[in-house]
Amino acid sequence: MSGLLEDQVAIVTGAGQGVGEGIATAMALAGARVTIAARRSANGEPAAQAIRDRGGQALFCRCDVTRREDVDAAVAFSLKHWGRLDAMVHNAVSPPGPPRPIQEVDDETIASQIATSTTATFHCAQAAFPELRTNGGTLILLTSPSGIEGSGHLPLYGAVKGAQRGMLKSLAREWGPHGVRVNAIAPVAWTPAMDVATEANPTLEARLIGRTPLGRIGDPTSDIGPVAVFLASDLARHMTGQTLAVDGGRYLGL
Amino acid sequence: MAPQTSRTALVVGGGDPADSVGVGLLTAGWSLLRLGDDPINDDTVAVAFPTLEHLDLVVHARYPALCRQSRELTDLTAEQWHAACDEPLEAGIRLARGAYEPLRAAEGTIVYLVPLMASAGGDGFAPFAGAAEGLRVLAKSLAKTWGTDGIRAHAITLDPSAFLAPDDAAGMAEANSLHDPPLGRVPDLSDEVSLVVDALTSDAFGVLTGASLVVDGGLWMPG
Repeated sequence: MSGLLEDQVAIVTGAGQGVGEGIATAMALAGARVTIAARRSANGEPAAQAIRDRGGQALFCRCDVTRREDVDAAVAFSLKHWGRLDAMVHNAVSPPGPPRPIQEVDDETIASQIATSTTATFHCAQAAFPELRTNGGTLILLTSPSGIEGSGHLPLYGAVKGAQRGMLKSLAREWGPHGVRVNAIAPVAWTPAMDVATEANPTLEARLIGRTPLGRIGDPTSDIGPVAVFLASDLARHMTGQTLAVDGGRYLGL
Repeated sequence: MAPQTSRTALVVGGGDPADSVGVGLLTAGWSLLRLGDDPINDDTVAVAFPTLEHLDLVVHARYPALCRQSRELTDLTAEQWHAACDEPLEAGIRLARGAYEPLRAAEGTIVYLVPLMASAGGDGFAPFAGAAEGLRVLAKSLAKTWGTDGIRAHAITLDPSAFLAPDDAAGMAEANSLHDPPLGRVPDLSDEVSLVVDALTSDAFGVLTGASLVVDGGLWMPG
């Protein structure tokens, strides 16, 4: 996919690890200049350095997506260092916590899941829109199969990820006339959260793989990242309002 | 449908569709409890109805006025976004938390009423679509989690006119090519939609949970 995003600039939130880091890496290797927008420099800076070590262009910008001023600053940072913005990828989400029914979810978790999902989507969308409109850019949201078919283990997570899909379809309608596309990716991939889950439940990995037609769990950089590259590229110029499940076929009924 | 006077329904939300569906449930013999658009906390149900021990049905249609006003996302203030998306989403989640025990005692049913824009998007209605789609998906999660407790959970998608001012609803209809309903009419909220809600609580539909029904006279046929 080398060169597909030549001359493009992208912000990827939550890019210090996991799917966000994979997407940032793939976009950079496709030619984009990438702002690693992450809450912690402890992982954001190394993620940017790792991309630079592979020949890509990436800079870290500290960003808590629940704070509007931080998101505005990430956009300003991108304009200052890269000169433009073509793609806003909102991937950051707070940890959903352990599996539990909705009646056992505490107030703090509800607040943080909403803040990093719906509120932060509002922040990212509104802050990026002027540049996206100027450049015919794109907004990409990271949702989840849980946001489509619900989740018995993480019902709150399913609700906030579903909410992002309602927003993206509305924004696709709203921003289409401005030439701005809005799409989502619903991945199943190896992430730090997946590592924790499989460590806590030793049979989980085998069960997941057994139910996945392609027989493995996705890699953030080589499996999920290229789909973000595609959505940000001119190849997807006639796609908007869509959610692509990148899950090895795990959820065929979506 | 034969009236059954012993059953209790809680209908949440100001204005329609909550008002009309509530009237329909009353007519069908339900004892009706009402909450409007006031904030919902975990103890809202218990405080409002202190003697309530079991609850056969909860119908959620709580979408405050700001949800229903068309406004492009770029024009929204942070406060307006919160009031139109985050707050109603959180309230719908809190309602589920607060209703769990009385629903479990009755092996009851919870139904979220949502507008077409939840699953199809709506120009000018991003916050409403976000909150409502989150709750539509929540109903599926509740069905998965609460099934072993005997609680069933569903979502019903309604025509935009059930929630919006006529001009806005007409705009949604045009955007989604919703013309000429196959059954000749959009269902009446009190006379027809309430009967579907009622039916979902019946033994005849005892094996159904997690359904996401579109009750619009056949205007929109997704999937």
